[in-house]
Amino acid sequence: MALDEALLRGEGRPDDARPVLRLYTWSPDALSLGYFQRYDEVTAALRGAGHALPTLVRRMTGGGAIHHLRELTFSIAADAAHPLYRGPIAGSYERVHRAVAAALRRHGAEARERGADALTSDDAASPMCFHGSTAVDLVWNGRKGVGSAQRRTGGRVLHHGSIKLGSTPLEGAIATLGDIAPEELAETLLEVLGEAFGATFEDAPPREEELLYARARERFFASDAHLRRR
Amino acid sequence: MRPDDRLYTKSHEWVKQSGETALIGITDFAVNELCSGNEGDLVYCDLPEVGRVLEANETFGEIESVKAVADLNTPVAGTVAEVNPAIEEHLEILSKDPFDAGWMVKLTLKSKTLDSDLMDAAAYESFLSEGAHS
Repeated sequence: MALDEALLRGEGRPDDARPVLRLYTWSPDALSLGYFQRYDEVTAALRGAGHALPTLVRRMTGGGAIHHLRELTFSIAADAAHPLYRGPIAGSYERVHRAVAAALRRHGAEARERGADALTSDDAASPMCFHGSTAVDLVWNGRKGVGSAQRRTGGRVLHHGSIKLGSTPLEGAIATLGDIAPEELAETLLEVLGEAFGATFEDAPPREEELLYARARERFFASDAHLRRR
Repeated sequence: MRPDDRLYTKSHEWVKQSGETALIGITDFAVNELCSGNEGDLVYCDLPEVGRVLEANETFGEIESVKAVADLNTPVAGTVAEVNPAIEEHLEILSKDPFDAGWMVKLTLKSKTLDSDLMDAAAYESFLSEGAHS
């Protein structure tokens, strides 16, 4: 989360307008709360349903809780004025999701935006991200398969996405890609996003400034005060 | 035409000065960017405690639509004198009346002279029509 915040802030990239795509998995697995979710409500609801909870963290993006296990997570950071993000937020989702859906289709998922359809994965009583949906969410087989949320601050945008390869007990019957390695999906995403946006990716580790910033913020993101801020 | 009794920022906040105090809010454009006309898409808004001292351009709160969390920034420096108590429970106010009932905070100004970079209503309209905004 601290590294994502460094990307959101554009640390070490004062004159570099190129968007940054970060692809990652989680070890150990964790349950991330949405920025505005109430800790007590989420944990009580899930424990009340008989679930054991993994490590908990709080994201800087909104929406519901996500169990980060058997998934590929992506972040795309760019200036708010970049063509990817410029204009109404719904439009920026459509641009990102169109490309992500094309990647998912290459792996056999008939992914498309939900539109006005009702989903069998929706459950208004659940605090989980994959049990709530909006018109721009990516779905297949009548269920939500990609969790997405944005953070906008200081003229910058970070778009978070979680693509499910398999479900978890906390998430139940949702749309998943099935038996595919995250690395394989990452390769497809790079290819499709490159085609969609006319982009050439430069494969690089985080910059020194980003790592320095992330290390300085690690304690905050790991703190109980942040986790239980609401 | 938006109200001409206040000044505007490029990040779509407005400030309405009245002597030593000023009301701060966000414009209809900002609200529409967040929720695309669906007032139910605004879900949370955190506003500051009364007494908090804010510098110009400092983040004083956060607002969440169903798809994005965005910062709320003050264009002017001052101390929070009042917070609109209706906003946090009735976010639809921001869609219905962002310029009057939708004020967010009232500041006691640090300086009665506002930043010259702020735009009047006509300049803000031009800024939006030029498409230079994010």
